[in-house]
Amino acid sequence: MGCSLATSLVDRIKKIKRKHHPELLFVEPSEMVVTQELQNVAAMGHRDIRYQIGPLITLVDAARFDFMWAERQQLMLGQIKGADLVALSRVDRLEDSSPDDIRQILRPHCNGIHLLSVHDDASLEKIVKNVPELNTV
Amino acid sequence: MRLICVSGIKGSGKTTLIKALIRKAAELDKPSAVIVNESGEEAYDDAFINDLKLPVEYLRGG
Repeated sequence: MGCSLATSLVDRIKKIKRKHHPELLFVEPSEMVVTQELQNVAAMGHRDIRYQIGPLITLVDAARFDFMWAERQQLMLGQIKGADLVALSRVDRLEDSSPDDIRQILRPHCNGIHLLSVHDDASLEKIVKNVPELNTV
Repeated sequence: MRLICVSGIKGSGKTTLIKALIRKAAELDKPSAVIVNESGEEAYDDAFINDLKLPVEYLRGG
């Protein structure tokens, strides 16, 4: 993420905070952005306005893991490194391997890995637990 | 305000997860907003935006 793009993102964070006052602001960056860059941007914006940061969530597509790990491993590692939460997405579409196979490969690079499937509400709830504003218990 | 970032390679389900979290927040009357790169994998459609009165900002290239 270049300097001008980072500045642009910070400007949008400030604009939304001042104009709309949301309790939650979600950022969906392009696939090329790594977590360290997001940490830097979040810290930049913090100089001018106050907000809580995180969780920084990284999704790893389980269904295409083998291909992506072979082709784009450095990018994936850049997104995993520093993430507060790593989730294996689309686990319901896994065919030739199991989530545990992928977890074993990723284990040296992150502490815990959630499983996420849109067909399993319980898997979403585990992610929700990491967002204090969404915890009702 | 809490800033939540969802990263991942295209097709990994970033938009789907964010939408699910926004719906969850709406159920609790917690307003949300989104900043999304313009090449987002799945559009935040008008119905979703309007139903939830969701502010959306687009980021070119990021």
